[in-house]
Amino acid sequence: MRLFSGQRAFVLQRLSALVLLAYLAGGALWLAFGPAPTFSRWQAWSAQPLAAAALLVLAAAVLAHAWVGVRDVMLDYLRPLALRLAALGAVATVLAGLAAWTALILFSHVLAFA
Amino acid sequence: MRFRVFRFDPERDARPRLQDYDVRLKPSDRMVLDALVRLKEQDDSISFRRSCREGVCGSDAMNINGLNALACITPLKDLPEPVTLYPLPAFPVIRDLIVDMTQFFAHYHAIKPYLVNDEAPPERERLQSPQEHEKLNGLYECILCACCSSFCPSQWWNPEKFLGPAALLQAERFIVDSRDRATGARIEFLDDVYKLYRCRSIMNCTEVCPKKLNPAGAIERIKVALLRKSA
Amino acid sequence: MQPRTARPTFLNFARIRFPVGAVASIGHRVSGVLLACALPFAVLLLERSLRSEAAFAALLEGFRSPAGRAGLVILAWACAHHLFAGIRHLLMDIGVGSTLSAGRRSAYAALAAALAVAATVAGMALAA
Repeated sequence: MRLFSGQRAFVLQRLSALVLLAYLAGGALWLAFGPAPTFSRWQAWSAQPLAAAALLVLAAAVLAHAWVGVRDVMLDYLRPLALRLAALGAVATVLAGLAAWTALILFSHVLAFA
Repeated sequence: MRFRVFRFDPERDARPRLQDYDVRLKPSDRMVLDALVRLKEQDDSISFRRSCREGVCGSDAMNINGLNALACITPLKDLPEPVTLYPLPAFPVIRDLIVDMTQFFAHYHAIKPYLVNDEAPPERERLQSPQEHEKLNGLYECILCACCSSFCPSQWWNPEKFLGPAALLQAERFIVDSRDRATGARIEFLDDVYKLYRCRSIMNCTEVCPKKLNPAGAIERIKVALLRKSA
Repeated sequence: MQPRTARPTFLNFARIRFPVGAVASIGHRVSGVLLACALPFAVLLLERSLRSEAAFAALLEGFRSPAGRAGLVILAWACAHHLFAGIRHLLMDIGVGSTLSAGRRSAYAALAAALAVAATVAGMALAA
């Protein structure tokens, strides 16, 4: 298995982009035709397990898209291998941390409302 | 007409320098190459490659007023002065406007730029239908001048690993050739994060191709072929 | 004969002309990096919005300063440019608008639309 795949990253970038576009369109429709957003509505909606799961999918798509993009930037501009690996490792750690943080936020929110 | 030319003589110069010239053109001088030939009459120390002087051999590719082009088919009348002449960007300079094309041709050879077909040859040649031949249009015309690859930012960052637009256009030329039998192996060879996927569809290659080919489009089609293969 | 000096390369960005597609492309990259840098803040925003209205408002208070407003305009540009340039690339992937003339037109359109969004947000930031 190769350390950096070509096609897998290419597909992941496009698929996550399409997911983000779908969420953007959905969000825009909701803002245009849905009830006016208030804090209580937002907090009650996002406490439903399905809604929280949808938000988690959104976060996963954002983080995956960011990973491929930042990885591409580093493959281009960071030539020394040690520096490149260190930077990629740091970015992967931060993104994984953000994913865990988002999951924790949503999970505890769902539990708090239940 | 005023010119500003990149000069570098490895025997004498520690680093490149720019030299300004006022070239006395004759009425028959219409292209940048004509001016360069005239310039060499004034200063015979300047070096550049040229051969066919009609946009077929691809020897005199250089950076003219910021864009890669063939000197022999770039009209002088459209160019603002001073006309700046630099060697092809990012290629090692041997002397003045002459660059080292070793890496460029190594990438070209890597894609096996010839038909691979082990089947017994027919009595005469391997024939193609007009429809099959149609697929080669826009691909086979490449003259390997390197205008595209030298103008590609992805090639600047990973010159050794990314094959570059010229080699990838030729890869597509053999992938779509009905007489070739190594299509699968060709596509598989390109499935690599560096060889193919460093392309970001910037389209600088297509912008500067003197033969009006579209390497960026060819690269997109290779990516689609790869998707089909793994789907 | 061995040359006395190593072979130089010409790669002077002030001397090389960048076609509009290259400008749209580097904008896509810069905006993407900016958005990636804003990700921790986005998660923080989610956390505060779920905690309480007051906590959310307190976080947004930071955007009232001139620097905060400038940051908001830059982020708005980054979102818009990354979206428009991204749609352009997705379409080119499937062969839509991948000729040179179409690619040039869509690059101009993506750049102009993103700047228009940024100008609109800048107007709102100045008025608010």
